[in-house]
Amino acid sequence: MSQFLQVLLSGLSTGSIYALAAIGFTLVWQAAQTVNFAQGEFVMLPAFFVLIGIHWLHMPLWLALIFGLIVAVIVLGLLFKKLIVEPMLPNGGLPLIIATMALSILLKEGTKQFYGAEAQPYPSLFPQTTLHMDGAVVSVQDLLNLVVSLTIVVALTLFLNRTRTGRCMQATAQNPAVAEILGVNTKRMVLYTFLINAALAALASFLISPVYLAKFSNGETLGLVAFIAAIVGGFNQIRGALAGGLLIGVLDNLTATYVTTEYRAALPLVLLIVIILWRPQGLLGTSEGRKV
Amino acid sequence: MLELKDLHGGYGKITILNGVNFVIPKASITTVIGPNGAGKSTVFKAIFGLLNIHSGQVLLDGQDVTRASPAQMIGHGVTYVPQGRNVIPQLSVWHNLELGGITSPDQARVRARMEEVMDQFPMLRQRRNQKAIELSGGQQKQLEIARALLLDPRLILIDEPSIGLSPNLVQEVFATLIRLRDQGVTVLMVEQNAKAALAMSDYGLVLELGQTRMHDRAETLLADPRVGHLFLGGHIEEG
Repeated sequence: MSQFLQVLLSGLSTGSIYALAAIGFTLVWQAAQTVNFAQGEFVMLPAFFVLIGIHWLHMPLWLALIFGLIVAVIVLGLLFKKLIVEPMLPNGGLPLIIATMALSILLKEGTKQFYGAEAQPYPSLFPQTTLHMDGAVVSVQDLLNLVVSLTIVVALTLFLNRTRTGRCMQATAQNPAVAEILGVNTKRMVLYTFLINAALAALASFLISPVYLAKFSNGETLGLVAFIAAIVGGFNQIRGALAGGLLIGVLDNLTATYVTTEYRAALPLVLLIVIILWRPQGLLGTSEGRKV
Repeated sequence: MLELKDLHGGYGKITILNGVNFVIPKASITTVIGPNGAGKSTVFKAIFGLLNIHSGQVLLDGQDVTRASPAQMIGHGVTYVPQGRNVIPQLSVWHNLELGGITSPDQARVRARMEEVMDQFPMLRQRRNQKAIELSGGQQKQLEIARALLLDPRLILIDEPSIGLSPNLVQEVFATLIRLRDQGVTVLMVEQNAKAALAMSDYGLVLELGQTRMHDRAETLLADPRVGHLFLGGHIEEG
């Protein structure tokens, strides 16, 4: 039982970070009706911005984190929208999807060239200690990762539901033509969505990098798992992305502990196939009609 | 109140409006009729800043509002209810209504108006916490009209308000528009059910091929055999 609790908490911790990246997929889908296949690299890159702050600009960790967050929001939010999404979107969703695939390669290879292929040590944000709960040994880092991630998701949900700007963002995502008729500044709302996505990716990066270390190829796994989490939970719902992330995190850990470590990477893919066959809109998603 | 002077416009380089001219007086209901593709809905989009205007003018109480954005038009006291379903599906009735006043700097006034508007549409009060997608088609249309009234508009552009509504609800919507007219609001409407719409309107406007073909009092148009011919899918003969 104590081992189960340990595995469960660790899975929830990793899963909550996957959820942050998965929510990014949901937000971009709602704002631009497209899939950002560079999302994994969006989570990989901010850790390197922090390392640049620490090693090159000699900043303390807290300042480097703020620096990393700001640079991520500008580069992965503002510039991504202005230089890639805006010019490509009028040509349809597919060219944009292909553009994000190209961006993914560019970011990955660019990071490799710039910072090297080796995994870079990344400072831990939380104490590397353990707690003893009911006989289970629980990592404080896991626990705080979970708390911070869930707090971010709750804060985002409150922002979207409880503030006028959040509701304008929802209106823009759900019916942009009507939002415009009502006088909502839809362009600004879409921009906010991209900025929030970049911030979420950066926060996920800061939380996961002490565990995975900072490596140019981290985005491959993170992007794939987050994409699957978003589909499993429901691509058009934030709560779906959260549920999908947590589910995959927990199942991954349980499989590795109680079944086999050999096939753990296959588990999210199996889950994806099952969900697509059984409930294509995802566990908590809603089906969407589309005019063709 | 609203004047269109030789308005030409369309989608990108495609021209739909080829010279629309009309003047509608304050506190009146004017119905725009015409065959499919005449440019009826396009005129509304042009007035409301949702379309490229190539040339011509839109004047509101003498003020030039040509090419004003939707947000600016709302500021000028104009609201637009397009055809079809125009709610934000996953937001509640209350929050959909609130969006009607999103451009107002006086949110306290918006709150007060929301209460007043819900007095006019009691169904909305009963369902204020329900998601808009859960309302029937008629209820959604009532929500859209209520939302359009939130900022006390002086001109409402309403496109095909009767689509998808039962005859009773159509009468309710028409009664609401008459009540608004009596309160001093100007209504410009496109309506598929042209005879019924002209019967409750003060003025009628016939568009064909993006041009104004006739503009007269509604009862005159109703009695005109050429308009009857048009209703059967024909074209208005020149002269």
